[in-house]
Amino acid sequence: MSRVSHIPNLGGAKAFVLHRPHANVSAISRQLAAIGLAVTDCWPELPAEALAADFVFFDVDLGFDQQFPWPRGAAPMPTIALIGSEAPGRIEWALSHKADAQLLKPVGNAGVYSALLIARQSFAARRQLADEITALQQRVAERQTIVRAVAALSSQGVDDERAYAQLRTLAMNWQVSLEEAARRVVALTEKEGGFDQSHRA
Amino acid sequence: MKSRIEIGVLYSRSGSYQLVANACHAGAMRAISDVNADPASGIELIAIERDPGGNIDRYAPLCDEILRQSSARHVVGAVTSWSRKEVIPVLEKSGAALWYACPYEGFEANEHVVYMHACPNQHLVPLLAHVVPRFGADGFLLGSNYIWGWETNRVARDLIADAGGKVLGERYLPIGEADVSRLIAEIKATRPAFILNNLIGTSSYAFFAAYAELARTDPHFGPENCPILSCNLTEAELPAISEAGRGHLSVGPYFRDQAQDDAPASSFEASTYASVQVLAKVLATDPSAGFAALPALFRNTSYQTLLGEIAIDPQTQHATLPVEIGRIAGLGFERVSRTERMAPDPYLSRYDRTETFGRPRLKVVS
Repeated sequence: MSRVSHIPNLGGAKAFVLHRPHANVSAISRQLAAIGLAVTDCWPELPAEALAADFVFFDVDLGFDQQFPWPRGAAPMPTIALIGSEAPGRIEWALSHKADAQLLKPVGNAGVYSALLIARQSFAARRQLADEITALQQRVAERQTIVRAVAALSSQGVDDERAYAQLRTLAMNWQVSLEEAARRVVALTEKEGGFDQSHRA
Repeated sequence: MKSRIEIGVLYSRSGSYQLVANACHAGAMRAISDVNADPASGIELIAIERDPGGNIDRYAPLCDEILRQSSARHVVGAVTSWSRKEVIPVLEKSGAALWYACPYEGFEANEHVVYMHACPNQHLVPLLAHVVPRFGADGFLLGSNYIWGWETNRVARDLIADAGGKVLGERYLPIGEADVSRLIAEIKATRPAFILNNLIGTSSYAFFAAYAELARTDPHFGPENCPILSCNLTEAELPAISEAGRGHLSVGPYFRDQAQDDAPASSFEASTYASVQVLAKVLATDPSAGFAALPALFRNTSYQTLLGEIAIDPQTQHATLPVEIGRIAGLGFERVSRTERMAPDPYLSRYDRTETFGRPRLKVVS
């Protein structure tokens, strides 16, 4: 297992602050610069370069979907919501953008550093979870293929249980996932009208 | 006619870390009297003093009292990070600034504070970079039970791992606790390559004494094999440690040159003196300068101080300082190494493992 250094190397990271010119922007920029980040503030739209940002801070009070060069909730980097008015509709909107951390306005002398670390960690956790779900969904989608492969194998006179065990052995021998082995069995079956054991690797 | 300007002085003249606080107090008072005696300075500083007596709950009320009962907008004071964090809300409310002249654990850049002593890239990082190749990378971490010890040891854990070493133990004592027998037993059992000492005051003195005793029975624990490393130990505390300290290492922006009679006695005194020197320059330029005026005044400026020529980074309000590693020799330090003008990096944003410890560790891929 490799160890991840906990010294958060934020030096040189790029942050975009999407907020109309305001004292809050200066307060955020000051803290970001002190921590060592390069800051760009913009309003009313995030420029294309924001796609390469490491962090995006966005205003919730006056924000709207068209400001972002990505679909709602699909930011490719950690985002931090800047919340002034706690109107429920605005919070709902911030939630729809899946902000990874928040900072309450007015912004004072502190808060940005913890927001950066929290946003980075929750973004990484969210992304890892999403990747796992995608992988699991792909496996679930292959259920039918497995059923077809087991059926093809059992057509040679073994029962379902034995056929399934055989499929697992094939997957092991081919060093592929069960789903991939099933796809191969189905493909061979379809090509030759039956699965011939001589194809066993 | 010099204009008279009041400034706050907030140090605990009694309590478990009084030696450090008194060193800071001496530096502040000496600088104030030197500024006042200097016909060229143009200002006269009036010290408004308060003494929290080592009681953490007295800092905020006494700082508030200084700012309400006098015209002071600048306070020189606080030794522990805990007390600094206690007064920050008062400074923010009153629009005042604190000149903080002690080493601290970093990860702060408040616009109401000017950080005039070392942060981790100016103390812990260079000290471990010096020690690891010479003594080894496995460390035992000690601290007093508050933010300085916790955070400094947290950074040390990462540095030790980056250097390919192991943390063999990490122990904390309440401030003022002098029973160190358990720590000594654990250190004896784990046999580290060095000990990082973030204990403060009486706990630290008790530890040095007990460790010297251990070295008498087991030479592995002599300073030439397994040194005690401190990031905040200065001449101010050596009388309380005496011969038990000999050979162990510390780091700071200044150690006293024993040949110079009138040199400040420690980096605490020198940094506090330098703080008042810089503050006097600021107030001579603009007697009404408050915290908000500081970044503009610091930009593109450097100051001749007792710490040498120093600059203050307008973005973080931390000082660019020399970094000196010293070896305890009686009541002073022998210089081991000195690096000039180390720019502050309070968030370790520019920390580079390879630059600090040489080539990267070999990784086991699994």
